[in-house]
Order: sequence, then structure tokens, then C-alpha cells
Amino acid sequence: MNPIRELVQYSYLILSFARRDIRARYKQTALGAAWAVLQPLSLMIVFTLVFDKVARIPTDGTPYPLFSFSALIFWSFFSTSMSQGTFAMTSNSNLVRKIYFPRETLLLAVMLSASLDLAIACAMLGVLLVLYGSTISWTVLWVPLLLGLQVLFTLALICFTSAVHVYFRDIGHALSLGLQLWMFATPVAYPMSVVPQSVRSWYLLNPMAPIIDGYRRAILYGQPPDLPRLGIVLLFVTALLFLTYFGFKRAERTFADVI
Amino acid sequence: MNDIAIRFDQVSKRYRLRRGWHFSSIGEAIGRIRRRVRPAQGTSPEFFWALRDVNLQIRKGESVGLIGSNGAGKSTALKILSRVTVPTKGTFSAVGKIGALIEVGAGFHFDLTGRENVFLNGAIMGMSRAEVEAKFDRIVAFAEIEQFIDTPIKYYSSGMAVRLGFAVAAHINPDILVVDEVLAVGDASFQAKCLNKLAELRELDKTIILVSHNMSNIVQHCDRVIWLDHGKIRAQGDPETIVEQYLQEVQPRSASTGAGPALDADAPIRIVSVAVRNHRDEVGQPVVYGARACVEVEYAVEGPISDPVIGVTFENVNGHALGGLTTRLAGFKLEVTQPRGVARLVLDPVIFTRGMYKISVAALDERIQRFYDFRSQAATFSVDGPSLATREVSGHVVYPHHWEGDGGHKE
Repeated sequence: MNPIRELVQYSYLILSFARRDIRARYKQTALGAAWAVLQPLSLMIVFTLVFDKVARIPTDGTPYPLFSFSALIFWSFFSTSMSQGTFAMTSNSNLVRKIYFPRETLLLAVMLSASLDLAIACAMLGVLLVLYGSTISWTVLWVPLLLGLQVLFTLALICFTSAVHVYFRDIGHALSLGLQLWMFATPVAYPMSVVPQSVRSWYLLNPMAPIIDGYRRAILYGQPPDLPRLGIVLLFVTALLFLTYFGFKRAERTFADVI
Repeated sequence: MNDIAIRFDQVSKRYRLRRGWHFSSIGEAIGRIRRRVRPAQGTSPEFFWALRDVNLQIRKGESVGLIGSNGAGKSTALKILSRVTVPTKGTFSAVGKIGALIEVGAGFHFDLTGRENVFLNGAIMGMSRAEVEAKFDRIVAFAEIEQFIDTPIKYYSSGMAVRLGFAVAAHINPDILVVDEVLAVGDASFQAKCLNKLAELRELDKTIILVSHNMSNIVQHCDRVIWLDHGKIRAQGDPETIVEQYLQEVQPRSASTGAGPALDADAPIRIVSVAVRNHRDEVGQPVVYGARACVEVEYAVEGPISDPVIGVTFENVNGHALGGLTTRLAGFKLEVTQPRGVARLVLDPVIFTRGMYKISVAALDERIQRFYDFRSQAATFSVDGPSLATREVSGHVVYPHHWEGDGGHKE
């Protein structure tokens, strides 16, 4: 069957998986969905102490908490969907071993449930913007496009990592370390302007760098993102997604034998 | 040719013996990959062929049973059937929507309520929201858990969870239904319900693949039986014939036991041999329903003893006891003054239904408390009698009986 048609047919399943993940995540928790905000919020506080009060990172006039939070929530979305996506097959091994369904539904469900957390965090960002008296320009309309690009990139990556995780559990261990390092290779805690010009071209090979920088420009500075750079990222991400998705579909057929 | 629902064409499935690619380290993985440069031969001891060159066609509306001992390839065949995995070689094709009753409830999340799980499980099995909603009440009623539908599954008894899983699966309305051992779920009345559902699906001309260790279920519910043995089709055809062939092979007709060590080495009495004789006094030949048969127990007396008791228990092929008899019940006293003796349990008439049966024999003390000797499944015999396939009888025993009623009469 045509994989796209099959996917449409299984859209209710994707929703159901996402609903299951969300309900199960917050069942028997006292704070419930507040945890969705607590993670980026606590990182924001730590970053403010370290990078603002101690290291005195320049932020082009924006209050540092706002500066870091506007990037942290999108980074959290990325790292949450990366880690949950990577484990998506193995944590559902019961299902994968017994029942047939297109396995990428599990990946799409991870993206969906992680975006609920992002939505809550975005509301929190809105509150912060009001508290700090920031004005929001029309450039904020770039955010959905940036988000779309980020989702495609994340999907391309988890198609690969989740399939590999079925065979090698190593990738699970490597992932948390990798994500920590990756965050510091991305302008989350600091602005892009502090990156020396000499390494800038290397630095920008990281697709998350122009994306995260783009959110900040669109939300805080009323500027459009670095469009030529993002065009290259889009081409790269599309090619990567094709590659990893078809690799995933090939590997998927024997997940049940190995998982 | 259009009425073929399922086709296995030269299907082979190979597994790695070292479960998958779970290396203890990356280093080991690199070693493995390097070794793969020289192509490993299919017969390498690293691999195991779960299925080998299986050719199989199942017509639409046919109900087919898969039998075979553990490791014969049934589970692998089911996995391919339910599209969970693909053959290593050969092709598998199926026409229509496939529903699998394999370990029902695999998709349950234990923190979610019964209601949430019905929707989730329905979605996993390919139902739309509208479909689940339409069938929701019937599913809950079928599972008999109306009261607990809004309780998280983790507080369910295992029986309740399995019933709910079966109920969802039974309502997916597939064209091809794959059933694995789930008829063993729940109590007798729930099982009857499941069998009804199966019969209902058969009437709707659905294709059914049934895997079970319960041979009576296979005989009663299949049009054809396929016997898998070491990954190949050993035989296929009429359910009764194939089941009988299969049982004779897996349970060789050991008409009698040789002398072995007694259960209690110092026991004053020991069972020497057990044999079943039919009405023609033959050993190892089928016993005939309605005719006479006897179970001959030879024993040795090896010490002073007063009034020992011999007990004979009949079991079905799965080892479930059907009934036991003792010499005491009939008031029969054993001869214990000679070193050897024989006790014959005479069945006249034989009232078993067609099939294979086993016998366990015990020698006990006068209070029927202490075992002097016990020979589990000391003998096996087959019965030629009323067949379960006719569905006119069920179980293992036809009690002496007749029917009466106002206005009713014998045909």
C-alpha cells in the first residue's frame, strides 16, 4: 500500500498514541501539565544565574530570562521529541512484537504529544513577554514555519535513531550526552553574535543554529530569520528525511524479530 | 483463483540464534559487520530456519488449523500472517483486512482506564474512532466489565484485562482472523462466547486461522488442518485424520511401561507394567466405543503388605485428569501372597469419545494416602468412537443416557 495513504488511514491511531502518551505522562502526578513548563523554566533560572550574572553574556538589550526562555522552549521541544522518539520503538516493544501497524505512527505521536508541552510553554512565554513589556512584531508569523522545519528535521533524525535503537541500545546512552553537547553548539544560552567569525561557517552547519536563532529574531527582535541559510537547511532536511524515512520503512519490516 | 485469501509461496524465515543484534559492545558489532563481508552461508550455525520453503494457499472463507509441537514454526507463520514480520525468502500475500488475536491486550496501557484502552486498542487494530464508538457498548458487554470500564486497567484482574482485550479484537471485523490460543481465555461461559463469535465469523465467510494446542477445538472449528514440523508442512488435510497422525507421533503409543525404579525404593509393592487391551484382546490397537476394553496392571509384591490399593486415572492428551478409579471403590482385593500379580480394570462398555487418552497408575497403601508407586502416563491408547467433529458430542465422555420428554420421540 502507498505509505502516505496508509498514514492518512492511520491518523486516528497517531492521535490515540499521542493521547495515550499525554494521559500516561501526567497520570498520578500532583503537578500534572505544570511539568511541561517547569523544565524550561528551571533551565532558564540556572542559565540566568550562570550566563547573565556570572558570565555576563550580551543579549542585545533583551532581559536575559526572556532571551534564554524564548530559545529554551523550542530546544526542549527538540530534545524531548528526540529522546522520546529514539525510544519510541523499544518502549512499545510489546506492540511492535505482536501487532502490525505502520511504525512511524509512533514517531508522529511523539511529535504530537511533545507539541502539547510546547504549546503550554509558549503560553508561558507569552506571559513573560507581557511581564517584561516586550512588543511583538508581525515577524512572529515566521515561528510556525520555523517550527515546521524543526519538526521535519526532528522526524528525519528519529526515523534513523529509533530504528538504530532497535538494534543497538548504545544510541540511547549516546543520545542524552549528545543532546547536552548539542545544546551548547546551538545559540540557546548565548546569542549568535558571540560566535567568532572564523568558526561561523562551521558553526552554521548545525541546522538547529539558524532555526533557534530564527525564533529569537522573530519573537524578540522583530527581524525575519536568516532566510538563505534556512533555505539550505530545508533542502538538506528534505533530502535527509527521504533517506531516513525509506531506511526506516525498510528496517521496520523486521523490527519484530530483533526488538 | 480469485478466491485465494492467503498465499505462502516458498516462504522461508531465518532467525539469528544470538537474539538479533544485541551486542554487548560496539566492538563486537564491528567484528560482526566485518565478518559479514564474507557472506555467511545460510546453514551457518549462527542461523536458525524457523520456516523452510512453505507453500500454502488458504481459500476465502476457509477455517484452517495450525498444529505442531513447540518450535515447529507456528508462531513464525502467525507473525508473517499478521504482517508483524516478513519472510526472509519467498513471498506472502493476503487479500483483505487481517485481524490478529495474538496475545490480546498487548496494546493496553495499564495507567489508562478500560474505556481509554478500548479506544486505543481499537485504533491499534486499525479501527476508526466512529467504528469504535459504534461498537463500544457491545465490546464492553462482551467483556462483562461494565462496572469497571472507567477504572485504570492496572487494577483489573488478569482475567478482566484479557477479556477486554479479546472483546476489542473480536469486534474488529476483519476479513482474515488469526487466532492464537486465545480460546483458553476466561472461564467456561466466556469461552463459550468466544466460540460463538468464531462460529459467527465462520458463517460470515471470514477466513480463520486457528492455532491451538487444544486438539478438540481444532477438530471442532477447522475445515482443514496443517501440521507444521521443523519449519515445514508435514501433512495437511482433514482435521481428524491429521490430528490423529500428529498425536500418534508426538505421543508414541507406549502400550506398556517397562519395569523402572519404584517411586519409593523400599515400597512393598511396585508397578511392573500397564497395558490397554481392546475387545479383541489386542494391545496397541484402538479401543472401540461401546465395546469392552481393559487396563491391565501388573505388579510385584516385594514385602509384607496389607490391602494395597491400585488406582488408574484417565487423562486427555493435555494431561488433564478425566476421572480416576481405584480397586477400593469396586471392593476388589488384590492378591498379595504371590510375588507377582495382575489387576484388570474392565471397562464395559467404553464410553470415551474419539481421540487419544493417557493412563496414570498408582499403587497406594490401604488408607489411599501414601503412594508406594506412581507411573505417570504409563500407557496411551486411542479410541474409535463418536467424533467431536460432528459437534454432536463434546468433551471426552459419553455418559450412559437417553432422552425423555412430553411429546418428544426418538427419530
